[in-house]
Amino acid sequence: MDIFLTRLFAGMTAGSIYAMIALTLVIVFRSSATINFAQGEFALFTTYVSWWLTERGWNIWVTLIPAVVIGFVLCAAAERFLVRPVRRRDEAAVLIVGLALFTGLNGLSGTIWGSADKVYPRLVPVSVDSFLEIAGARLFYDSLFVMGALVAIVGGITLLMSRTNLGLQMRAVATNQESAGLCGIKVGRVFMISWGLAGAIGAVAAAILVPILPPGQLGLPGMFHMLIFGTVAAILGGLDSIKGAVVGGLSLGVGLAMINGYGSALGGSISLTVALVVVVAVLGLRPSGLFGSKRLERV
Amino acid sequence: MSAPLLQAKGLSAGYGQAMVLRDVDVEVAPGQVAVVLGANGAGKTTLMRALAGLLPFSGELLIDGQAVRNSRPDKMVGHGVSLVPQGRGTMSALSVVDNLRAGAVSRRDRAGVEEDIERWFTTFPRLAERHEQPAGTLSGGEQQMLAIARALMSRPRLLLCDEISLGLAPRIVQELFETIAQINAEMGTALLLVEQNAALAMKIASSVYLLEVGEVVESGDARDFEQSESIRRVYLGY
Repeated sequence: MDIFLTRLFAGMTAGSIYAMIALTLVIVFRSSATINFAQGEFALFTTYVSWWLTERGWNIWVTLIPAVVIGFVLCAAAERFLVRPVRRRDEAAVLIVGLALFTGLNGLSGTIWGSADKVYPRLVPVSVDSFLEIAGARLFYDSLFVMGALVAIVGGITLLMSRTNLGLQMRAVATNQESAGLCGIKVGRVFMISWGLAGAIGAVAAAILVPILPPGQLGLPGMFHMLIFGTVAAILGGLDSIKGAVVGGLSLGVGLAMINGYGSALGGSISLTVALVVVVAVLGLRPSGLFGSKRLERV
Repeated sequence: MSAPLLQAKGLSAGYGQAMVLRDVDVEVAPGQVAVVLGANGAGKTTLMRALAGLLPFSGELLIDGQAVRNSRPDKMVGHGVSLVPQGRGTMSALSVVDNLRAGAVSRRDRAGVEEDIERWFTTFPRLAERHEQPAGTLSGGEQQMLAIARALMSRPRLLLCDEISLGLAPRIVQELFETIAQINAEMGTALLLVEQNAALAMKIASSVYLLEVGEVVESGDARDFEQSESIRRVYLGY
């Protein structure tokens, strides 16, 4: 039982992180029907900025402010000045822009800050090893913090979507772009803000996950794995569903923890293989994912 | 005579290389009801989409005598022109009331928006009953009511209606036409209708355009058209 619980907690922690990444992908996808492959690299870049500021004596929490602002501006600008002009000519080329941004941003981070790993400070000043004991299982404070952060982010997005005018516009664009335009909504602006919002959330998510995930340091390849698991979580949940991103992320995290834990006979970590199987299975059996819209329509 | 609310001069539009609409002149005065009649494929929907800012065009488009360049739908809403698109275009995942709120995003007067929502709920009681339901679960007739109410939420001066009778039961079509005629009479909202149901549209229209293979072949006063035997037979079928 205690081993099961320990694995469950570990799975939920990883799952919360996948869910955060999935959320950023879903917010972009809902508006512009694109998977932004560079989402992780945007977050990597802002985390480097945050690290650089801490080196100059800033408090880690304070560095999140410029990180979030830069994340917002960079992503919004990428949509407005790179993605949108290309999309007008060729939808498929948008993917190429994403890949170019992916390598470009990673290279930029490397050029500015070098390839050596950095020690990125922890947002919560608890020791890595401090934990609560629940029925003999360890629930690390780190895990509580990550899950709490996910709850806060999801709560914020839900309020934005359901209570504000901007949220209404974002939902309208997600369900029918042309009709949203006919309502008087500036669809391009909603695209831009959605990208920016994803960039801002990514900045926070990366600052939380970098010190927690092995190797616990800030390095250039750090976001690549996260983006893969985040994408799988988003596809599992349904690419245009916020609820789906959360459920998809948590199920993926817990599922992988269990498989890696109990399936040790399969030999070592098979997370990536399982993730691939999940994607193929979802796309084959239920392309719209668990909660993705199946285009509710009655004629 | 005051400047027309909307005036298209030599308007041409199409999709890629295929020109669907050639050199079309259309004019709607404030508070007027005009109807564009034509067979399938005549370019009626293309005309409406160009006027609503969904489709680029060449030629001239004047609103209140001011030239409007190739536009975007949100800008046309700003000019007071609102489209009820063919196929209704309701935002199916949004609730009925959110569809109406979305229709009012260009407005700043919150109290007025809530008043208008109440007003359209009174006009279309079936929407009021289903106000929390996702729009995609409504029947075709209800969706058409919602599409009309949504388009009116921006308080347009000109409502473009693209085949609102399409696929609906005659009784509901009759109801919808009575409603828009009433809106025109009470609020002074000008209407530009595109219709296959010519008989019904002619009843409330004061001017008529006949569109054939992308060109206006005849236009004039609706009453004169009713007199003309040949046109009655060809376009009105009675």
